[in-house]
Amino acid sequence: MNYQFNWSVLWTGQTGQWLLQGISTTLEISVLAWLLAGFLGILSGAVRTARVRLLFALGTLYVEFFRNVPLLVWMFFWYFAVPPLLPSPVQDWLFAHGAEFWAAMLALGVYHGARFSEVIRSGIQSIPKTQVEAALSTGLTVTQSYRFIIIPIALRILIPPITNESLNLLKNSSVALTISVAELTFQTRQIETYTAKAFEALTAGTVLYLALCLSISAFMAMLENRCAIPGMIARANPAEH
Amino acid sequence: MKRLMPLLLSVSLALGGVTSAAAESTLEKIARTGTLTIGTRTGSPPFAYVNKQNDWVGFSIDLVEQLILPSVSKKVGKPVTLEKKESAPATRIPLLASNAVDLIAETMTDTRSRRDSVDFSLTFFVTGAQFLVKRGSPIKGIQSIKGKRVAAQQGATNAKIIRERVPTAQLREFPDQPTAFQALAQGQVDTYTNDGIQLAGLKAKAPNPRDWEVVGDFYSYEPYGMAMRKGDSDFRNAVNNGLMEGMDSGKFFEIYEKWFGPKGEVPYPMSPEAKKFLIYQAVPK
Repeated sequence: MNYQFNWSVLWTGQTGQWLLQGISTTLEISVLAWLLAGFLGILSGAVRTARVRLLFALGTLYVEFFRNVPLLVWMFFWYFAVPPLLPSPVQDWLFAHGAEFWAAMLALGVYHGARFSEVIRSGIQSIPKTQVEAALSTGLTVTQSYRFIIIPIALRILIPPITNESLNLLKNSSVALTISVAELTFQTRQIETYTAKAFEALTAGTVLYLALCLSISAFMAMLENRCAIPGMIARANPAEH
Repeated sequence: MKRLMPLLLSVSLALGGVTSAAAESTLEKIARTGTLTIGTRTGSPPFAYVNKQNDWVGFSIDLVEQLILPSVSKKVGKPVTLEKKESAPATRIPLLASNAVDLIAETMTDTRSRRDSVDFSLTFFVTGAQFLVKRGSPIKGIQSIKGKRVAAQQGATNAKIIRERVPTAQLREFPDQPTAFQALAQGQVDTYTNDGIQLAGLKAKAPNPRDWEVVGDFYSYEPYGMAMRKGDSDFRNAVNNGLMEGMDSGKFFEIYEKWFGPKGEVPYPMSPEAKKFLIYQAVPK
C-alpha cells in the first residue's frame, strides 16, 4: 500500500485529549442509555409474560415498533422530529443545552430497551413451570417464589445475552455522530481532519472500542462465575478436587 | 503446527498478492480494467450531487468526464469508462490508499497537511468559507458567531478554523450537507458554515431560496483540487493535462458556464482574478 504511516499523530498535539473526550462521551451516553434500556426492558419484558391483555399488547407494541426500525432513523426521529412538537421556549433551551446528546441517548436507550425486553422475557420464560410449582409447594407465596427462586435464577440465565446486548449498545453509540454528538468515532474522524492520517485515527478508534468492550465482557464473565449456582445453569466449572 | 502451515502459506500468498497489486501504477490499473474509478459526492450541489432526474451529475463530474477521461484514454491507448463511488471527507483518503478509487473528484480542499498523504491535481475552483443563515439573522460573518450554535461539516477545514479563531462558538458537526441544512432549518443551530459556493448551492436547491442568505467575508481560502495516490506522477500528469487542455481550449470555462453561469444551477460568476489564476496554471505544451 502506497501510504506512509505516522503513528505519532496519535499522541502529539490535542489528539490524546480528543480521544479521552470521545471515550468519556461514549461512556456517558452508553451508561445513561443502558440504564434507560434496562428500565424499559425489564418493564416491558415483565408485562409481556403477564396475563393482563392490555399490558401485554402495550409491551408488544413497544417492542415491535422500536426494534424493527433502524437505529439511524431513530436518531433522526429524536433529533429532528421530536423538538418541533415541544413549545418553542423548551425547544430553544434544549438546543442550547446539548439537545443532540439527549436525543442520541433517548434513541439508543429506547431502541435497546426493546431488544432488552425480548432478552428478559425469554429469561423469565425459560424457567420451567415445574420450578414455580415446586417453589409454591414448599409453602412460599407467589411473590416470595418470584423473589427467592424465579428472579434470582432468571437473572443468572440472562447474564450472557445481556452482555451481548450491552456491547451492541456501546458500539451502536457511534451512530450518534450523525446528529453531531462528539463521541469516540467522531473524535477519530476529527483526528483525520486535522492530520489527514485516516488509518492511524481509525486504528486508534478500533483499539479503544475493543478495549472498552473487552473490559465489559471480562467483568460480566467474572460476574457470571461469581454468581454461578453450583450444579445449575451457569457454565459448570470443571471439578478440580 | 502442521495443520497451521497451509493456512499460514495461503495467508502469506494472499498478502504477497496484495503487495504486487499495489505496486501496479494507476495508469496500469486503468489500462488493465478499462475503468477510471472516482470517489465523488451525492449531496454537494453543484459539484457532485444526484439531481431531480436521479442522475449523478455536477461540475466536478463533468470535468472528469469531458476533460480528464479523454486525456487518460489517450495515455493508456484505449477507451476508458468512468465509474463513480460515493466518498465523504472521512473516507476519501482511505478510499484512495486502498485502491478502491483512483481519483477524488468532489469538493476537496488542497491543503499542505493533506499533501503528506495524497497528491493533488491543479486547482479547479477557488472559494472560501462563509455562513448560511435565515434571512434577517443577526449573524453577519465570523465576527458575530461568539456563543452561537454553528453547524459545520465533519472532516471539513472550516470547523478547524472556527475552533481556533472563535473558541466560544458552539460547533455542531454533521456528516453531510443535507443533515446540517435540516438542523439549520429547524433551529437546532443558528448558522451553517461551509465553503461559500457550497452554501450558494444549498440555497439554490432549498424549497424557498429567498428565505436564506449567504453572509460574511471569506474567512478561509479553499482551493479545490482532485486528489490521487501519492507518488504516481504519470497519472497526475494525465489528469493535469486534461485540465490544462480544457483551460487552453476554453472547454473548461464552457463547463463552468453550464453550472455557474447566469442560467446555471448556481449562478456564481467567475471573478477575473480567479480566471487569470486558473489560466496561469496551464503550462505551455
